[in-house]
Amino acid sequence: MADTILEARDVVYSYSRKGPKVLDGMCIKIDKGVKTAVLGSNGAGKSTLFSVLNALYKPQSGTVLYKGEPLSYRHKGVIKMRSEVSILFQNPNDMMFKPYVEQDVAYGPENMKLPKDEVDKRVEEALFTVGMEEYRKSPIMKLSYGQRKRVTLAGVLAMRPSVLIMDEPTAGLDPQMAYEVMEIAEQLHSSGVTVVMSSHDTDLVYSWADEIRVLGGGRCVYSGPPEDFYGDRAEVQRAGLMPPSVFSINEALSRSGAFPLEPLPRTRAQLSVKISGKGDAYGRMHVILADPETDVPGLIASSGLKGISTGVCGISARMAAESSGFKADFPYNGPENCVSKCMTGQDSVLICDPAMLGVAESSVRFIEANGYGSIETDVVNPGLSDRGLSRRRTGRVIKAVCPIAAFRIASGRPRVGMRKRFRRVLQRRKPERFATSWLKRVYVLS
Amino acid sequence: MGDAMALFELDDVTFSHNPTLPPVMEGFSLSVNEGLRTAILGANGAGKTTFFYTLTGVNKPQKGQVLYKGAPVEYTKEGLRNLRSEVAVVLQNPDEQIFCSLVEEDVAFGPLNLGMSAEDVEVRVAKALSDVRLTGLERRPLQQLSGGQRKRVAIAGALAMDPRVMIMDEPTAGLDPQASMEVMEIAEKLALRGVTVLISTHDVDLAYRWAEVSDVLCKGSVEHSGNAEEFYSDAERVYACGLLAPSVFSINREVSAMHGKDPKPYPRCPCELLAKFGGSKRSGRVRLVPAGPEEAVNAMGSAMKDMKDACSCIYGPDVRRVLGGSADVAFDGMDVCFSRAVEGKDSVLAYDPVYEPFVRGQIDRLKEFGFDVEAV
Amino acid sequence: MDELAYSSRMVGWSPLGKLLLVMALLIVGLITQSILVPLVTFSIGLALMAYSTNMRVPLILSLAILEAIAIMILGSGMISIMGDKSDPALWEGNILWFGIHMTVDSFNKAWLIFFRAIAGVTLMLSFASSTPIPHLAQALRSLHCPVEITELIVLIYRYAFLLLEKFLVMLEAAQCRLGYNGSMTAIKSYAGAMTGTFIFSMELADKSEAALACRNYDGVFPVFHPPKKMSVKWVVVSIGLAAALYVIGLWTVGWIDMAELFAPLFGWVMRWRCSS
Repeated sequence: MADTILEARDVVYSYSRKGPKVLDGMCIKIDKGVKTAVLGSNGAGKSTLFSVLNALYKPQSGTVLYKGEPLSYRHKGVIKMRSEVSILFQNPNDMMFKPYVEQDVAYGPENMKLPKDEVDKRVEEALFTVGMEEYRKSPIMKLSYGQRKRVTLAGVLAMRPSVLIMDEPTAGLDPQMAYEVMEIAEQLHSSGVTVVMSSHDTDLVYSWADEIRVLGGGRCVYSGPPEDFYGDRAEVQRAGLMPPSVFSINEALSRSGAFPLEPLPRTRAQLSVKISGKGDAYGRMHVILADPETDVPGLIASSGLKGISTGVCGISARMAAESSGFKADFPYNGPENCVSKCMTGQDSVLICDPAMLGVAESSVRFIEANGYGSIETDVVNPGLSDRGLSRRRTGRVIKAVCPIAAFRIASGRPRVGMRKRFRRVLQRRKPERFATSWLKRVYVLS
Repeated sequence: MGDAMALFELDDVTFSHNPTLPPVMEGFSLSVNEGLRTAILGANGAGKTTFFYTLTGVNKPQKGQVLYKGAPVEYTKEGLRNLRSEVAVVLQNPDEQIFCSLVEEDVAFGPLNLGMSAEDVEVRVAKALSDVRLTGLERRPLQQLSGGQRKRVAIAGALAMDPRVMIMDEPTAGLDPQASMEVMEIAEKLALRGVTVLISTHDVDLAYRWAEVSDVLCKGSVEHSGNAEEFYSDAERVYACGLLAPSVFSINREVSAMHGKDPKPYPRCPCELLAKFGGSKRSGRVRLVPAGPEEAVNAMGSAMKDMKDACSCIYGPDVRRVLGGSADVAFDGMDVCFSRAVEGKDSVLAYDPVYEPFVRGQIDRLKEFGFDVEAV
Repeated sequence: MDELAYSSRMVGWSPLGKLLLVMALLIVGLITQSILVPLVTFSIGLALMAYSTNMRVPLILSLAILEAIAIMILGSGMISIMGDKSDPALWEGNILWFGIHMTVDSFNKAWLIFFRAIAGVTLMLSFASSTPIPHLAQALRSLHCPVEITELIVLIYRYAFLLLEKFLVMLEAAQCRLGYNGSMTAIKSYAGAMTGTFIFSMELADKSEAALACRNYDGVFPVFHPPKKMSVKWVVVSIGLAAALYVIGLWTVGWIDMAELFAPLFGWVMRWRCSS
């Protein structure tokens, strides 16, 4: 279904001539637009594989293909490839080259020999994406570990890679920061970047990845959707891993006869839904689309949604909540928590980044598709984008384009009809196509 | 929590690295009780590491008092030496605390610094290395070891001090799931031996499952100390501290809310969650096999013969060394085994005899959820 | 290097004893006028190294010796062609503006120096490859070398490698971000990596200080399984060997005349010998 963007064929690599082979006949394919997680125990060769894919190391034998072409290890070819495939190192301190945030983020684009304007634009955009705009002029030395991690992520994003490889992106981060990084990964995915990551956090990866690649003994021992792999306990044990807790709890409950094994929940909230079973009356989920300037409390008050539990999803939504001093009940895991709230029969409000609608949708869809009832959804301010132009602090004009808005412009119908249409759109379209492009289309700097 | 048990008491402590900088600990009051498994939670920069360094006397507070065993910590060479011979620290990054190039040299570093005799050190090093399952690698250069092994060397280095308090800063960070399980088993073993173990971690699931006491730090002061559920029930506070609720806790809360039930009793690990929300009426049989490494193979073999179609599970490093390759579940065996019991299936659980009270404790906890494990 | 030293068969020998032996041999090799003595010390050095590494001289050590030999050949070559102008020349000529005047004396002197030098290098390497730095530090300490210096040696030795590793990782990160696209950029990247390493070293220093304190470090790196103390045997053997070699040296001055040895090869006419 998808094209292979990066591929390693029978790659053999060892650090020294007589040393052990870290990669020994590694065959791996990374498909375009598929969220791929690379798993394996310590020393399975994950980082080495990434370095080989990025032409940092030249394999002793075997080939690495990018977009179907074998890698050229010549200067020009490598430059071109590396400007499209980027690695985020595990330790942000390894990637700090400049004393100030802005300079460090600009390092990549400058090396690409881009014109100054373009570099500026990209730095701003990247810092915005990771939510570090206000630290633009800060010295890096003064930042905390988590902030440094975000700055290095911005530094990589500023190169606008089409493939982003993240080596243990959540290692050493506290749960909230880890969640935010995963959210950024999700947004990048929906903007068309192919995101690959390695992680030891089985639960986190399970809720995120479409497909996994498991490494062991210098080879790829499994490639495919995570569920099939975790189903084979012996195989998991051999690979030095453990099944995610959501997976094993679901499995155990189904074996004890509480419910059938399928559908397999990927997240904690989905598991809760499954354990609870079908409820009688569900609440409604109100979605507020937000750009960083949206006046969240005002909008909630004017729509008569005061007193309802609110969740936040996506960076611009987070920024909107922060800048308008709004305290959400679920600042993290917004869609899931909102769905859970709805399942208890109460309404909920989700303040959502337009780019994250796909995520919100999949949370709702799990309920509907598996016959646990349906949760009504409506968008409170579909006109976010046909308000069209909003001014940001920088004074630049930003135009947001989002499919729902486009839809509404076309139909011109009132809100009630909107809701039905919205749902129909959600059901009809695949999330990849539905979700808007984040970097390239949502905020078009004019 | 009576005062009699308090091992460390911090009273209104303020500390900053530099008088010009804002303090990293302010109005910090907390007591650490002896013999309890304590988790220190908090976001990046909440002051966990600073707190640990205050306990070992590396950081001398500008204001407030640190009491160890009821007496104020003396910041003299002698006083600190006494303190540090009883309080050992394992740092997050093993490379920061490994100073020698051979495994045994590094493990012996602490005891030798205390001026112990070579024979005593020899005994301690051998014991510490066997505790972390590194026997046989004594004369291996550290550069040749993997990250997980180096972490265990660091732990062995702390164990060799024969400490009364063991502080572990992010012991599972950067380790793969199996390696973290092993580290947690070591922590458990220490706790069973009567060592007070303090663990700081970002892994709330792990801390929730393991700890008896959860202390939450936030921006240099103590936000909560004591029962974990009490803290996690207050969602706003959890968010303000930069944390998220553990998934077992959230599942229990959500399901209870949807069914309009009392969330109590709180399950802390998957098998308790299962016991609460499902599971068959009849318990599967669990054959408990506490076995030392010598008799483990035979004991396991005969147990498996008695129990048809049972799943063999393992808990504890020594048994794993002997049986790890052949067992169905070599890691996290205890939880899997009791989960299966809840499902109504049979299993055999082999564990190091040290863990007996721990296994019994889990069976007792399952009773709270109205589930009687049929242990044979 | 430490890795190698710990796996050496001579690691248990007294470091001071080894040091004394090596120094004695070195000195005797330097003061002697006979070419035989450096030859003997060179072979002792080789033998020691072979024993220490269990006959498997690692590539890096052989490279080091080969490199030393290469440098010495160059150096001795220079010496040999700059002989005393008053003596008759074996070979005279000009390379560019450089006058060559090789005499028998200069030729022999060059050989002597060459053997002295490689003997020295081999001996030192055999010592270094069998003595870990902490052992050396302990030996120095027992010689009443100030603790500050010995501990500094140990610490610098340890952190030099950590920092180097860090620097290499940063260079890799720079490559990922196209940090070598053009020579100016490459220079900037190197500079960036250096500052990064520097900052890292400061942070590391802070952390290590605390970590050392936690492990009760009080200014001296202890050695577990210390090597044996230097016994009288070592002194006797070293001094005896050195004295014997010295005597042999006195006795054998001029026994081997390298010029004579090489004469047939180059067709030199040994005029001065004929005249005497």
